[in-house]
Amino acid sequence: MKMVWLELNGCSGNIISLLDGADPGFDYMISEMVELVYEHSLMSAEGEEALEHLFALMDQEFILAVEGAVPLKNGGRYQIVGNWQGRSITALEMIQLLGERARYVIAVGACASHGGVSAGRPNPSESVGIQSVLQRRVIQLPGCPCHPDWFLGTLAHLIYFGEPQLDEEGRPVFIYGTSIHRRCERRSYFDQGIFATQLGEPTCMFMLGCRGPMTTTDCPIRKWNERINWPVQANTNCIGCAQFGFPDVMEPFVRYFTLETDREGELVEVLEDE
Amino acid sequence: MSEKIILNPITRISGFMEIEVTVENRRIIDARTKGQMFRGFEMMLQGRAPLDAIYYTERICGICSTAHSLAATIALEQAFGVEPTIQGRYVRDFMHGCEFLQNHIRHFYQFTVPDFVKMPENYPLYQTNFRDFRLPKETNDVIVQHYFDSLPLSRSAHQLLALFGGKAPHNHGIFMGGTTASINADSIVKCQSILREIGDFIENVMIPDAGTLARYYPDYYENGTGYGNLLSFGCFDFYPELGTLYVEPSVSVDAAAGGAVRTLDPRRITEEIDYSWYTDSLDTYTPFETIPMDDQNKEGAYSFIKASKMENLSFESGPLARQWLSGEYRRGISTMDRYIARVMEAKKIHEILLVLLDQMIPGPTGQAPYLTPNAARGQGLTDTTRGALGHWIKIENSLLDFYQIITPSVWNLSSHGNDGTPGTAERALIGTELADEDRPSEIGRIIRSFDPCVSCATHVFYPNKEPKFITVVP
Ligand code: SF4
Repeated sequence: MKMVWLELNGCSGNIISLLDGADPGFDYMISEMVELVYEHSLMSAEGEEALEHLFALMDQEFILAVEGAVPLKNGGRYQIVGNWQGRSITALEMIQLLGERARYVIAVGACASHGGVSAGRPNPSESVGIQSVLQRRVIQLPGCPCHPDWFLGTLAHLIYFGEPQLDEEGRPVFIYGTSIHRRCERRSYFDQGIFATQLGEPTCMFMLGCRGPMTTTDCPIRKWNERINWPVQANTNCIGCAQFGFPDVMEPFVRYFTLETDREGELVEVLEDE
Repeated sequence: MSEKIILNPITRISGFMEIEVTVENRRIIDARTKGQMFRGFEMMLQGRAPLDAIYYTERICGICSTAHSLAATIALEQAFGVEPTIQGRYVRDFMHGCEFLQNHIRHFYQFTVPDFVKMPENYPLYQTNFRDFRLPKETNDVIVQHYFDSLPLSRSAHQLLALFGGKAPHNHGIFMGGTTASINADSIVKCQSILREIGDFIENVMIPDAGTLARYYPDYYENGTGYGNLLSFGCFDFYPELGTLYVEPSVSVDAAAGGAVRTLDPRRITEEIDYSWYTDSLDTYTPFETIPMDDQNKEGAYSFIKASKMENLSFESGPLARQWLSGEYRRGISTMDRYIARVMEAKKIHEILLVLLDQMIPGPTGQAPYLTPNAARGQGLTDTTRGALGHWIKIENSLLDFYQIITPSVWNLSSHGNDGTPGTAERALIGTELADEDRPSEIGRIIRSFDPCVSCATHVFYPNKEPKFITVVP
């Protein structure tokens, strides 16, 4: 099956995250799983010749993976993804052109799935997730970035078994079905009420604003970067990057206890006001 | 008779950019680099909790996210009056160095090699109509193999970053006061083990491969020279006990002609916006002064990338600037020198990481307690993979009130200055002779030598008089 990876308004962090995947890694993916036809950060061709690769696909079957949001401001002219015969093509035009024709569409990462950081208030570029501009089902893989295994696992499911079971928000249940809090390695501290008062401590991060209880991914058991670590193990709280509404509904990321001087001149812990 | 060539998209860079060059007798006589995306982080950050800047600004860039977390942290530490612990500094600088290795290995093999080495033609991702591939088949195919061999190594560099940072990209471990990570002997030895593999690869594969490219493409030592003004905000510098391991904040004007290396004075940094899509009551300002609003309908503008200046001059920043300013590499300033300097820098950073690792002592790195100021300001300046990065913040009512960011790619991919002089990469393109106007491989190669990251955005401006578009079908 052919595949297009389309980068839109974002940080290109999802293709970098994909390159961080191992077994399968990027080379296995492109040689054994899909025929990658277009990827902005990696393809050899440039300019109009690159776009020819895309337009040659129009009547063929392909999977479309998208990272980044779609800016709507000024008729979409806040992001141009190429120049075709003297005409600028906006991200909006490109996603609509490819999105309606692809066999499957996968929104990879927070920006593609719901706007993410690119749509952070006051959303200066009027960015939206790709589902908002497509009249079809989009498989949603939120996360900032998307874990390489989440993408590669979803891709494997599509190739070998067809569409995976999705929840009502379009997320594969086998990845997004259980909260972080349920499987967190620090859960026993939570149950005993032993809470960290500062990042860097080895106990439960709940009082610092941990979003593990409301974020449904498998970070505690899958971990990141070849299973070496994950944010709670690095003595920080989960900031809910894989939940819809990130970043704005997750702010402030860290609700920090700080020390202030009370009337007697003693240092006391104060929970910073939201 | 002149004609225009438009190249868009410029692939194998981070972000979206269009290059427009004017060519006369096969020579580039004018150039415009136009960033093609806009998100407006500076506006988004206003009103957020100060500490959130660390994780928020990382999302500016997926390949150099660590750099932003570091610059934001340094700016906040200055505003809060916090000194990072020394162990915390070693760990977070180590993380930052891992990002250099990740970036440089990926930039050389995944972004640069396909420009000079014929990748497998039967694979669609690697198909191209470029003709200027000069390596003998055997040598060519060895480097193609190295392209794939490099993938696990850049991945491992990110794995080391995550070992302390929790994950990569977008780490959690760099934070006010140092780092949140604890140090264990098993982490130290894991780093040493993985670094040995990466070091062997840099020494025995990457540096020789870069040498091969330089041998077959010596003409690239002649083009892409540009202004030759070099700038660095410094990195891996001023450790209380170790001193400076790499480069201190410094500049050199017209370095190739013998310009002296001087200490950088950040008060001389300005931005100019006459040719970019922003409006403000000021068209030139210092970083703390103002944040212009985006305005795509502005007459005469063509890019969302502003023009950054130091002492009213355009500067180049990045690996070649650092290698030159620190005295490590001074062969020349050109397209190929940029590629070579990046590869040589990987070796240098690898050495620095081993030194930092040697200083680490098992245990929590510790963070000093601090007060959230009601009002304060701070600047976080550091050199990162692609060059000089600055964050300038003001806090008001304990919230972020002002956030200015000047990324390395603003230095390198500036639009014209207010006086109409070209930006750094634009200047590097001008004067280049194109061997084949229908398939101009020079433009992409020169631009990629700057490792652009179009984290600020642009959109194409249609002048009233439409130029004659020669569409490039390479
Ligand atoms: S650290 Fe977060 S996810 Fe883990 S137990 Fe505490 S609140 Fe739950």
